[in-house]
Amino acid sequence: MAEVLVVDDSKVMRDMVVACLRPYPGLNFTHASSGLEAIERLSLSPYDLLVLDLNMPDIGGIEVVEFVRGQDKLRALPIIIVTTRGDEASRARALEAGATRFMTKPFTPDAILAEARGLLEEKRA
Amino acid sequence: MTASVDLADFLPAYLAEVEELLDSAHRHLLAVEASARRGAAHPKAVRELFRALHTIKGLSAMVDVEPIVSISHWMETSLRQADQAGGRLPEASVEPLMEGLRAVEQRMRQLASGKPAAAVPSGLLERLEALESSTTAPGTSRPVAAVLDETLALGSKLTPTEREQLTASAGGRRPVRVDFIPGAERAAKGVTINSVRERLAALGDLVKVVPLSGPVPGGGSLTFVLLLSTEAADAVLLDAAGGEPALVRPLAGEQAPAPVPAVSTPARLDGDLDEEPEETRRGSGTLRVEVSRLDEALERLAALVVNRSRLQRAVADLTAAGAPTRELRAILQENARQLRDMRAAILRLRMVRVGDVLERLPLLVRGLRRATGKAVRLELDVGDAELDKAVADRLMPALVHLVRNAVDHALESPEERRAAGKAPEGLVRLACHAQANGFVELLVRDDGRGVDGAAVAKRAGAPTPRTEDDVLELLCRPGFSTRESVTATSGRGMGMDIVRRIVVDQLGGELRMETRPGVGTTFRLRVPLTITLLDAIVFECAGGRYAVAVSCVEELFEVDASRVVRPPGGRGVALVERRGQAVPLVWLERLLGQGTAVAADAVPARALLVRQRGELVAFGVGRLLGQQEIVLRPLEDPLVRVPGVSGATDLGDGQPTLVLDLPTLGASRRSGGGGREERAT
Repeated sequence: MAEVLVVDDSKVMRDMVVACLRPYPGLNFTHASSGLEAIERLSLSPYDLLVLDLNMPDIGGIEVVEFVRGQDKLRALPIIIVTTRGDEASRARALEAGATRFMTKPFTPDAILAEARGLLEEKRA
Repeated sequence: MTASVDLADFLPAYLAEVEELLDSAHRHLLAVEASARRGAAHPKAVRELFRALHTIKGLSAMVDVEPIVSISHWMETSLRQADQAGGRLPEASVEPLMEGLRAVEQRMRQLASGKPAAAVPSGLLERLEALESSTTAPGTSRPVAAVLDETLALGSKLTPTEREQLTASAGGRRPVRVDFIPGAERAAKGVTINSVRERLAALGDLVKVVPLSGPVPGGGSLTFVLLLSTEAADAVLLDAAGGEPALVRPLAGEQAPAPVPAVSTPARLDGDLDEEPEETRRGSGTLRVEVSRLDEALERLAALVVNRSRLQRAVADLTAAGAPTRELRAILQENARQLRDMRAAILRLRMVRVGDVLERLPLLVRGLRRATGKAVRLELDVGDAELDKAVADRLMPALVHLVRNAVDHALESPEERRAAGKAPEGLVRLACHAQANGFVELLVRDDGRGVDGAAVAKRAGAPTPRTEDDVLELLCRPGFSTRESVTATSGRGMGMDIVRRIVVDQLGGELRMETRPGVGTTFRLRVPLTITLLDAIVFECAGGRYAVAVSCVEELFEVDASRVVRPPGGRGVALVERRGQAVPLVWLERLLGQGTAVAADAVPARALLVRQRGELVAFGVGRLLGQQEIVLRPLEDPLVRVPGVSGATDLGDGQPTLVLDLPTLGASRRSGGGGREERAT
């Protein structure tokens, strides 16, 4: 089983992400509704993939990425950013902070599934 | 492998979440407007508003609702500027933003009714685009270096506004730092960053939460530092953070800073961050359920209740036939208790907070303020009172109507109020109190001009009323209006009759009015907590079987024939002494139109004592069949709806039983003067 942490303050958006990734076999999903909750979960359990929103109520996705990349044990964790902020500056900041992929909402189910599959298989290799 | 999901399937969930986000957006925009009127900034509300719109935009993009994406995008852009200006928004910006929210709301309704969302209204995007946020710099922060020692490595993570919030010592508050160390055991007990953050936010102004990495006691590598301004004692804060190994330290200038682990993140704010705890809609342990699912659970329960009644009768028949049924009866008793528990559980699920139901009233009053030019303050005092969703949905239009009437009819203009020695700003106050007998009382009070009974009577072409109830009776006549001309807000002849129909006819409640000229008016609405599951008294009367809600019966008593006083000639209403007063005794059999066989001097053996518009009335009934739980089914067909009948129920024998609404039965005839022998009052 591969563990996926889906972080978004919108429950509907989290459910959408999970629905998009469901066809990939052997995934187990955990939800987090805020950046702080995501950091707490990441400190307590291992994950194979992090799907992360940028705008959240407590701390933003960029700070979560920076925090993750500052942890030795999480340095290799693949991170897909999904955000409404499609501007180049946001993309650059996210990738500079250490995000692995950057996707702008709206994305298609196939697109996020392909990204997740690629990252999970790369991690297994 | 491809994703087989169709995101359009998420439309119902999308609509539900966006509706909540809109509620939040409205609330925060009103807060921003109130601050703008005082010339103050409200960074917290601006960010919450921004975040709500940002989420709406993202969700709408996912389900491909382009008009809402566009509207929320431009609203978001103007709010970003306001955020950069320290949370200041010019008052003139509020209306276009309100317009934007209304446009989003309209499109949501279109989608909910299966239509496509209409294009963006002409000119709206231009108006939103043209919004210019105030570039006024936020108030200069007081120096806080002494308080937030830079060696704590936190100062650089705070914006000037956050620093000011933290060091504002209003009301004896002090800045405090709480360190919370997450752990698997603590998480298993429900002590997580979310729960700690919520508890601390309830104890003061939680300004920021910063995650720090580095070795911590217990072998972990993460500490959450929560910075708040609070009056609470250290012990209380420590308890809120789950006890040790959490740590509480006042942030005082002279205090030597404790060593902390190195911060892993560069000290930079995201720009859209928010330090507040999430709204309860995202609180842990909260689940949104569609009402239709709750209705389905209720239907299942109704079937169980009916089945139990049948079982009870079957066991009674067996017992009568001499069969040993002791164990069966014990099982039945246990089953009754379980059903009561399940009923209570389902009722709790159906309850909504009155405060949530009234969330839109401030918005309504704001609109009325603009439409009428009157200065109005709305006060809501509803505490934690709850109502069944079905009651709340029906009640809301009545409350909207009363508030609208209060502002439009009752409150005077600022000039009139000054001339009358009143504050120029009028007050509309809505209060709500739960009552012990399964009812909720709501008061809609204004401090306006009061209702002039004589003027109302003149307009209605009726004799001058003697009591407030008589005035209310006139106001509730269909089509009656005190308005000389139709305005944008009222005076269309659709007023208090609707309120009374909802409160009295549909909900089986009570509507009263108290008014004093020049001082104000109070409407008192008494409605049942629920209209779906009831404890009922079942009795026979006039050859039929009827039920009445236990909650509206004040007393069930044996009628002592010697204490019944009949009017001379046997006409009119008999009186019976009860609680030291003469109470009208109404033969229900006669009232139900089956009384021809009842002798004029006959006295019922039993009576149910209820209140009609505040006055006690006794209804004589026939044989009592017992008390049991029923599921009330409203009579939806207008052709079979009768005043005084709240619905029907199935007691398990397949025969429908009418559920009477005694507090209104017969009362409607009192002003009719129809010459009936017996009227309820």
